[in-house]
Amino acid sequence: MTRGLLQIHDPLRPKGPAVGIDLGTTNSLVAAVLRGKPVCIPVDDAGGVLLPSVVHYAEDGSVVVGAPARARAAEFPTTTLASAKRFMGKGKADAETRKLGAYRFAEGAGDVVRFEVAGGAPVTPIEVSAEILRTLKRRAEAHFSARVEQAVITVPAYFDDAQRQATRDAGRLAGLEVLRLLNEPTAAALAYGLDKGSQGTFAVYDLGGGTFDVSILQLVEGVFQVRSTGGDSALGGDDFDRAIAEQVLEARGLGSPSPAQVTRLLAAARAAKEALTVHDSTVLEVEGHRTELTRAQVEGWIAPWIQKTGPVCRRALRDAGLSREELDGVILVGGATRVPAVRRFVEELFGRAPLADIDPDQVVALGAAVQADLLTNAQRQDEVLLLDVIPLSLGLETMGGVAEKLIPRNTTIPAAASQVFTTFQDGQTGLDIHVVQGERELVADCRSLARFRLSGIPPLAAGMARVEVRFEVNADGLLSVSARELSTGVAQSITVKPTHGLTDEQVEQMLLDSIEHAEEDLQARLLVEQRVEAERVLADAAKQLHENADLVEPPERTELEAVMAEVKRLAAGTDADALREAIHLLDELAKPFLERVMNRAMNRALAGHSVEQV
Amino acid sequence: MRRELLRLSGVRGVPAGRPGAIGDERRTDRTVECWNCQTELDDAPVVCPRCGKVQPVPAGATLFDALGLRAAVDVDLAALERAYRERSLLVHPDRFATAQARERRFALEQSTLLNDAYRTLRDRAARDFYLLKLHGRDLTREDSGTREDLPLAFLEEVMELREALDAHRGAGALEPARAMAGDVGRRRSASLAEAETALRQLLAGGAGPSALEAAGHALARVRYFTRFLEEVEAMEEALGP
Repeated sequence: MTRGLLQIHDPLRPKGPAVGIDLGTTNSLVAAVLRGKPVCIPVDDAGGVLLPSVVHYAEDGSVVVGAPARARAAEFPTTTLASAKRFMGKGKADAETRKLGAYRFAEGAGDVVRFEVAGGAPVTPIEVSAEILRTLKRRAEAHFSARVEQAVITVPAYFDDAQRQATRDAGRLAGLEVLRLLNEPTAAALAYGLDKGSQGTFAVYDLGGGTFDVSILQLVEGVFQVRSTGGDSALGGDDFDRAIAEQVLEARGLGSPSPAQVTRLLAAARAAKEALTVHDSTVLEVEGHRTELTRAQVEGWIAPWIQKTGPVCRRALRDAGLSREELDGVILVGGATRVPAVRRFVEELFGRAPLADIDPDQVVALGAAVQADLLTNAQRQDEVLLLDVIPLSLGLETMGGVAEKLIPRNTTIPAAASQVFTTFQDGQTGLDIHVVQGERELVADCRSLARFRLSGIPPLAAGMARVEVRFEVNADGLLSVSARELSTGVAQSITVKPTHGLTDEQVEQMLLDSIEHAEEDLQARLLVEQRVEAERVLADAAKQLHENADLVEPPERTELEAVMAEVKRLAAGTDADALREAIHLLDELAKPFLERVMNRAMNRALAGHSVEQV
Repeated sequence: MRRELLRLSGVRGVPAGRPGAIGDERRTDRTVECWNCQTELDDAPVVCPRCGKVQPVPAGATLFDALGLRAAVDVDLAALERAYRERSLLVHPDRFATAQARERRFALEQSTLLNDAYRTLRDRAARDFYLLKLHGRDLTREDSGTREDLPLAFLEEVMELREALDAHRGAGALEPARAMAGDVGRRRSASLAEAETALRQLLAGGAGPSALEAAGHALARVRYFTRFLEEVEAMEEALGP
């Protein structure tokens, strides 16, 4: 520790610049604008700018942050916290808290996640993040020999309100005034000088260690518009390392290596990957075994992973309503974009060489520094407006378990939509409103957000009631749903938090699933529709056969009933096409009979009876 | 399990009121008072020119009103983009975080309508459907009962197209599906152009129910073509690289 760190509370020290902080899952950085140019500030004694986002709580109550903490992770797995960011804003019941085995979660009051640590009371993810922020703050203060009190902190575009609030709290806890929370892709765009003066449409391609994100951003005259976002949280540079390691294992005929061997091999694979970003070949050495690797060889192994980013990017472009020719640039973010094969792929995908002159590990922090400078130095305080979108579609359940989307994903918020529904059964006096989020066609595959019941509908014939359901999403992404029966004015409403408890991973996984399952979803939807149709046709046929028994000949009845049985049988199965054909056949066969029914009705009507009496 | 909801009809966006008559009588002729400083306001400004407070969305405001544009088939997209940005800077709720509740609510209403207007009117087909809706025909929902209106020959053709697409899908044949999509895309554009000719007549005034009918039919075809193209897209996502 340097002596400078002891002087932070000296009020006589001059006030330093506002800083930009990239509070990352793996590494965190701090940057500031100096003489008009954003630079990252060294955070270790060797001059490195990456602070590993790892915090170790020792038995004696001391707290260690960064590389020294990471070095203790193997020895103290439960008290060395390495992924606090993933728990920000999460409740105890959240899936995230059940996923990782190493940490121990404390019991206690409230719904906030707490980690059991050595040497003191349990800590929240907010407190862990605050330790990282405090370290960055001290480093910056030592660097400038000045007080650092204001910061812009970046968050993933997918972060929900609770996660953003938690990040803000962490900043405050670390003694920082959080001027603004900035979306990471927006920060990257700012770093490339895309401030108020410039304009254009940019794709931000962010491939980190474990996650992939793409955003299409448009900047015109001070308005930053997020046109679309997409991603895959289970894809990143770590997959490259694993691909290399697996190939090496296979080549050596090592069937089941020990966990320790795997750890060493993965580290060697990572080193080889990094060496190959500059050299054409390298030697991977583990436990005395040397394996010669060429760049071409490794590129072949990792190609399937790189290609997985293609459909995500194409979908983001399509969601933005843009062709790749309409982009003004592609920005690379994340360490994995250093791999030459990734750069070639991006170039091919977007038809242009990506912008990569800023270090992809630093670009987010540098952009945050630009924003911090804008907010504190110029009078342009509020001139840049960010128009954000909802990452997943919002809708509700309709007949047959089909999800009806009211507000599609990537809709700019605030947004609203309304739709009129009706009852399905005679005399129905209540409607269940089931609010869901996701891209899949069937409710069962979407995330359930809320359920409520609108009761007190006047008992009318099926299809006569009119119920208007209205969705409203405010600028903070909060959804309110209201339902109103239009003739009586009976109303009910509820406020839900669309992304509460939904992790980035879940958001992205849901998007990916919808790509992978587009085909089977369509089939499922067709089947549901045919089943509803079958139900209607069967009920109708049975009713007419019953009420107009005298109009049907015995052989005709036998034939109709056979086809009805067939429709019923197929409706219980899964073949939508066969069911459709059977319904069609029933329609055709019933035509002559139904014509006779209609004729009788017409004759009766003409004879002075109303059609309803038939 | 039997579900109770059945889709009937609906609209995306902010039906703050029924769309007013377009053309002759413009709502902007009405004069209202600023809720804050009681200044008389002409032309329903978004912000009071005297006290700078955000005004509520006027009853019957259309999406065109939200952007200060005339209801028209042909929209100057650059002007639309500019109006959207300028008005967003004026009314986005982020700028009213510390304002009183009433103004915050107005900002939210204005911003919501503005976003919907931008999303709808910048897209050619969505704009055409919206113009038709302003003339009393809402085709934006599947159940609006236009299937019966379309010639049987067209519906049969659509059926055949879909069957052919099913076959390509079954065989995993992307190229022929793409070729079909190219053809359908051209026919969609032609139908849009046809609808727009009729809509222009309607907007110019004096056109009879036949123009409304023609626009309705053309856009109903567009809806079928669009759905077909979406299916090809879903297939590309499922089968593509």
